[in-house]
Amino acid sequence: MSNLYRSVFDIIGPIMIGPSSSHTAGAVAIGRAANDLFGGIPERVIVHYYGSFAKTHRGHGTDYAIAAGVLGFDASDPRVPNSRQIAREQGIDIRFVEESGESPIHHPNTAVLDLIGGDKRVQISGCSIGGGTIEIRNIRLHGIDIKPTGPLSIILYVTTNTERDNGISLIEDLNRLAPFYKKQVLKNNEYTIYEFDLKQQLQEGIRGFFVNKYENIICL
Amino acid sequence: MYASIEELVSDATIKNLPISELVIQAECNDMNVSRNDVWRKMKHNLDTMRLAVSRGAHGIGVHSKTGLTGGDAVKIKDYRKSHKTLSGDMIMSAVQSAIATNEVNAAMGVICATPTAGSSGTLPGVLFTLEKRLGLDEEQMVRFLFTAGGFGMVIANNACIAGATGGCQAEVGSASGMGAAAAVEVAGGTPKQSANAMAIAISNLLGLVCDPIAGLVEVPCINRNAIGSSNALISADMALAGCESMIPADEVISAMDKVGKNMPESLRETGIGGLAGTPTGQEIRMRIFGKNL
Repeated sequence: MSNLYRSVFDIIGPIMIGPSSSHTAGAVAIGRAANDLFGGIPERVIVHYYGSFAKTHRGHGTDYAIAAGVLGFDASDPRVPNSRQIAREQGIDIRFVEESGESPIHHPNTAVLDLIGGDKRVQISGCSIGGGTIEIRNIRLHGIDIKPTGPLSIILYVTTNTERDNGISLIEDLNRLAPFYKKQVLKNNEYTIYEFDLKQQLQEGIRGFFVNKYENIICL
Repeated sequence: MYASIEELVSDATIKNLPISELVIQAECNDMNVSRNDVWRKMKHNLDTMRLAVSRGAHGIGVHSKTGLTGGDAVKIKDYRKSHKTLSGDMIMSAVQSAIATNEVNAAMGVICATPTAGSSGTLPGVLFTLEKRLGLDEEQMVRFLFTAGGFGMVIANNACIAGATGGCQAEVGSASGMGAAAAVEVAGGTPKQSANAMAIAISNLLGLVCDPIAGLVEVPCINRNAIGSSNALISADMALAGCESMIPADEVISAMDKVGKNMPESLRETGIGGLAGTPTGQEIRMRIFGKNL
């Protein structure tokens, strides 16, 4: 048995703009995660589609769904079908590439997003596992590859190796407020990234607590 | 959260509680949220479903941007008024609500995915028909959705609910099984009968492929929800009559998972095989997207 669907509202829900929960609502969720990871709306986005996403994205509205997520819209936002137009008007360049190879994260509904703005470049690889639920299976941030497991929520905490590291205090707060089942600490010459896979979806109020207390925290 | 249907049924039987109640309690505990919030959220889902059912069958109905589908819910509504239906008004009322919902979905309207958008008409088809048939009040209708969701979680965690992974059996098949199980509970049946109804409903749709024309969630997805709803009602009636599924519910779910994994990719939401691969299916794809596969 898997533990991917944890809430009854993963099954009865989400409320969304049609036509497909995996290719539209799930795609909005992948775009949202990209927006959260980037910390806002990037200037350029290159979306690589694999598998069923590559073959049917136009029929399912996957393009406008990803664009809507990148702009920060919800799956039920009436602006979802017009999001590509809205992105164009805001001067955001979003391109879609149909890849013919195997999904790098091994799922038929895969989108890999490169997000670019100024000097900043991040990559997020998500798959839509059905009914609007997604998994983020790879994140590239500051040149570090992070491989989370399971559905959202995920917390990332980024520190440069020269600043004071609040990792221990964060772990204590997480144990108290938002228990995790897996932790990774990844480093390169410049950065240390803590990654936590949470047991439950992060509730809004608790998310606010972490964002206020910790600089450089990313909640997906 | 429950790992199997067997666990869900035995817990309900031991505690002498309806499955809907166990699902509500599990949600509050697992997600650390209040009963009020959980109830309110499900009520909002119910309201969304009701709006879609009514929108799809109102006036001239809704039509998709491609022009492929729309207006059938209205045709069925008119036909029910003017004709003696062959399958009975109750079945055709379920068909109308199922099609109305999926027409709204295809037209990029607002729906509640249950468990997916492609299968979003199946549960409303069952639920709004039983509302009239059994005189359900709002509390019973919200409970119907919790029961359906509880069965759906077990299906999703032990098999799958995405057409791209498991074919249409994983979408409409799952929805039909969820609807059958929940229909039994609101009709006063036992948890064991709910499990039988789910097993019968999924068995009836085992092997159903996902072959959307031009990759669009229109043809044959919309009509398949009509079958999903009717199959749920029939399966629930059979279980209430005392018929049992020879294969236990959990083994049916596992069979569905294996069938899905053995399905060729062309029949898993790629728009390549099945109806999508027919000359007419390919022609429609060319007409809409100007591109063949």
